[in-house]
Amino acid sequence: MDIGLALKIALGGFSMVFFLLILLWFTVWATKVVTEKITKTKS
Amino acid sequence: MFGLLDSGFQFFTWGNALMIIIGCILITLAIAKNMEPLLLLPIGFSIILVNLPLGGLMDYEYKLRAQNPGIVKEIVLEKRTAFETGSTIIKTDAEELASPVYGRVKEFKVKENQTVEAGDVVAVIITTAQTDQSKIPTEPVGLLSRFFAFGIMWQILPPLIFLCLGALTDFGPMLANPKTLLLGAAAQFGVYFAFFLAIFFGFSLPEASSIGIIGGAEGPTTIYVTARLAPHIIGATAVACYSYMALVPLILPPVVRLLTTKKERGIYMKPQLRKVSKLEKIIFPILTAIVVILFVPDSAPLIGSFMIGNLFRESGVVERLSKTSQTAFIDIMTIFLTLAIGGTMSAENFLRLDTLKILVLGVVAFASAAAAGVLLAKTMNLFLKNKINPMIGAAGVSAVPMSARVIQVLGQKENKSNFLLMHAMGPNVAGAIGAAIAGGVFIGILG
Repeated sequence: MDIGLALKIALGGFSMVFFLLILLWFTVWATKVVTEKITKTKS
Repeated sequence: MFGLLDSGFQFFTWGNALMIIIGCILITLAIAKNMEPLLLLPIGFSIILVNLPLGGLMDYEYKLRAQNPGIVKEIVLEKRTAFETGSTIIKTDAEELASPVYGRVKEFKVKENQTVEAGDVVAVIITTAQTDQSKIPTEPVGLLSRFFAFGIMWQILPPLIFLCLGALTDFGPMLANPKTLLLGAAAQFGVYFAFFLAIFFGFSLPEASSIGIIGGAEGPTTIYVTARLAPHIIGATAVACYSYMALVPLILPPVVRLLTTKKERGIYMKPQLRKVSKLEKIIFPILTAIVVILFVPDSAPLIGSFMIGNLFRESGVVERLSKTSQTAFIDIMTIFLTLAIGGTMSAENFLRLDTLKILVLGVVAFASAAAAGVLLAKTMNLFLKNKINPMIGAAGVSAVPMSARVIQVLGQKENKSNFLLMHAMGPNVAGAIGAAIAGGVFIGILG
């Protein structure tokens, strides 16, 4: 069994999950800012 | 029976008896203890059905073909006799033809002294083995094997259940407090820890991935990944995942108590979360699908279905679709999925040392996922002005909404004025997204 490959998959996979969820955090924040501006402009 | 009809008794084994007892235990847990009854009851009954020999519900046909031209010298086995994988079925003057799967011979297509050409079908074998179709192609011929082949192996049922779960999920608490996304990510540590442990237990990379994903605590994700990577262990991974989801109230509390002080467990969190606008809730599933699928294309069936189901719910204009997804549709999908999963648990498939190892690794995956969530929450508290209760990190173990409810109960025990349910729902739904991404990553690399 290639432990090196397994380690790469584990570290790479975990990093990717973390990166994407942090990106989603940013997306949520950006959405909030944009929707607040839209709401203010409308009102 | 009177020489006219074969009965199942002659093929009934101790393994079948043990599996029927396991099926009865699952049914008892569902009825008497109300443990995940929608899942464990049909799985339990399906286990009983497939362990009644000659019932044929989970049968596949495999056509054994001659590899070289020759003359049939001996037909080694009798029709219907059970045999193990690798058993010789027919001998020709050119070769011995062995079956790559266990089972029994349904019919012989040749007679002794008959000439056969390369590629001729010499025997039709009936098996319940889940095989890699690219190497050992089989055709489903039983009711449950058809559910399994066309529902699970064609990857239809798990994404559709994810669609229904999307319609049932309120992302509001997570959108109100998006830092909880980090806790959902941390909990995926359990997936990779169990993956690594599984390799040391002797499993292959695709098998280890399917075992690791149990730590995501999402039944459809576990089934989807296992069907793609290691279909022969799907019964064990699915049952481990659903059983431990039911056992979350027993698994999470000791992990949380071990890693937190009484003072930390009593940290008060204001119940009032920011009000999330409807527009935010509509934009979130669309943006999430775009971002996640662009980065991890193999997560598209799960994330795409999850988000379209959520858009049904949040858009407010397709109430019929949303309502159907939340009620009748998810029930129908659950019936097909659970019967098919229970169907994979014949004695020959399930009673192996590997199954025991998978069950052990599954609980390790759950516990380490909860531990990682709690430890990250404690780390975040070092930098946060408004401290979070570290117990909500354990809700990153998806099992929506069970783990969030468990954290609510634990929080109430420490501080009566603390209502952690909504706070715990954030990491809870983030964990579901994280698990789907982790599954997509595994499939992307190994699929």
